[in-house]
Amino acid sequence: MDKLLTVTALRRVVQLFAFVFFVYGALIFATFYTDDKLTQALPALSCAYDMKGGDYCALIPLQHQMDHRVSGLLTQSAKAMEALLPTLITLATVIALIIVLNKAFCGWLCPLGFFQEVIGMIGTKTGITQIVSLGRETVTKVRPVKWFIFLFFVLIFPLLTGIGLLGHEWGSPFCSICPSRILTTVATGDMAQVYVSQAGWGYAALSLLADLLFGLMIALALFVRQPFCRICPILPMQSLFKKVGLLRLVKNGSSHCDNCSSCVKACPMDIFEIQETAHNRNITHTDCTLCGRCVEFCPHDGVMNFKYGPVTVWSSSKEGFKKRTKIDKWWKG
Amino acid sequence: MKTLLFTLLVSTAVWGYGDNALYWVPHQCDEGKKAASAHGGHGRGESAMFAAMNLEGNASARLVLPDLSVKKLEMNLNTVMLPKPPMGGYYALVLNRQTPERIESAVRYLSLHGRPAKVSPTRLTALLKSALEIVPNPLHREHDRYTASKKYRFTVMFQGKPLPDTSVSLETRRSGSTSYRSDAKGNITLTLPNDFENVRVGRTENRPSEFLLTVRNRSGSTDYVSTLSMPYYVNPNDYWQSQELGAGAILIGFLGGMLLYRRTKKEVTHG
Repeated sequence: MDKLLTVTALRRVVQLFAFVFFVYGALIFATFYTDDKLTQALPALSCAYDMKGGDYCALIPLQHQMDHRVSGLLTQSAKAMEALLPTLITLATVIALIIVLNKAFCGWLCPLGFFQEVIGMIGTKTGITQIVSLGRETVTKVRPVKWFIFLFFVLIFPLLTGIGLLGHEWGSPFCSICPSRILTTVATGDMAQVYVSQAGWGYAALSLLADLLFGLMIALALFVRQPFCRICPILPMQSLFKKVGLLRLVKNGSSHCDNCSSCVKACPMDIFEIQETAHNRNITHTDCTLCGRCVEFCPHDGVMNFKYGPVTVWSSSKEGFKKRTKIDKWWKG
Repeated sequence: MKTLLFTLLVSTAVWGYGDNALYWVPHQCDEGKKAASAHGGHGRGESAMFAAMNLEGNASARLVLPDLSVKKLEMNLNTVMLPKPPMGGYYALVLNRQTPERIESAVRYLSLHGRPAKVSPTRLTALLKSALEIVPNPLHREHDRYTASKKYRFTVMFQGKPLPDTSVSLETRRSGSTSYRSDAKGNITLTLPNDFENVRVGRTENRPSEFLLTVRNRSGSTDYVSTLSMPYYVNPNDYWQSQELGAGAILIGFLGGMLLYRRTKKEVTHG
């Protein structure tokens, strides 16, 4: 029993409860209506198309606000306050949540992140060869994609739709391609979001891309850790405010770090920068999901730390490393 | 004059529809649309004017706001004009008429945009609006709408309690009437019919149709009649969205991922 008592095991339990809340929460904890959702601006991919969910992600109001409100500034059909106030409220909610949990929304609470990790576990247990690391070159190429998606699919395309330069289908283009929309609706028995639209090239392209991406994500998750998370536009949005987050990853590196890459191998997002020497520095990277695997797999006392405000809540240790590697070997057989 | 003409036209078009029960329909006159446009909060092309059908004699109309405050509405013949919505959320448009032997009511819910009321819509649906009432359980969610070929549940309430084993009729303009019987908890579950004609491709290309739920109950020497009328829309999955193609595209994506696996398997460090 003791061998199961790890941070990853705790994280799995939290993820499972979060999945139930964010996918089925309206059945148990909240009501069906939007007005009754927990925050309506969650920095994680909990989908508003899921009618039974307990909350939904900040990207849907952001896209709608760009389309219907902020665009009013450019067309001069709305005053500044009227155009910007809803977006400011959404961002203020996101900032308040980031202050409390920072990027742990991804690693601990996101339903899509949990789903990909479960697929990864299935891949491991069914003997599918796992890619330990994507390699620095591939990671560097993939990283800008999430910024492109955030800037164009969440902000610019909806804004252009609002001022009439793009068709209605570009009003919420990220939702149209988001795998969480398909996952969470299918998980509640609603197959309505699995479709290819024939209502025009824009609708057709977005719906086709959504389905292809969903199938691809499932296949990749069998052998690559968290494939969609690497291009998820929630990461750039979170990273805009990550400095104010109380929870953070702090490194107090030693000379051992030059020859040890345990943390990078453990990182599901392949953040190679965490290996670099740092002295009591916040190293919470844009791609970091604060999953804590780097802390678990660091073999040196006090080098990798989770800090909440000024308090160190958890540190790497030799003992912890030994226990964690033993469990990892047992899990992988 | 316009109102009289509209009433005459609609009455002719929906002869027999509603079976003499009171019910609300949107009044598609320019005045109503102009008011909705000036007020804001309504959807594109919607009207702020509503007509009470099968209305004879006096009746009282009121609007229950999302914060549960009530505004009395002035009736102009059989029509009412909604005021500018002060907040966003669900509104209930309620009509009551009472004679010694008959108590009638008509309810319609509207979802209007604006500053959120911060009151749960469950409180509006739970609010007693008439002795006999058909309560959406739940209403369609904000930014969603009633859609053909989808299942919805309603609860029949009488004097604040669920009314079991009672017949409720569902009528649409094109499908006629279908009867449902409430279960022990007063619930009925129904699928809205896909009975649209000349459907065009695109959500905004098709006007909504109307469905009407009617329930009747006799208690002592009094007849109670209540209706709920709401718009419903074309389901894109019945026409221009293919679910088979969608499932096929997911499969292609999955197979593409597996091909990548085969290619990369030999090149990577094994775990």
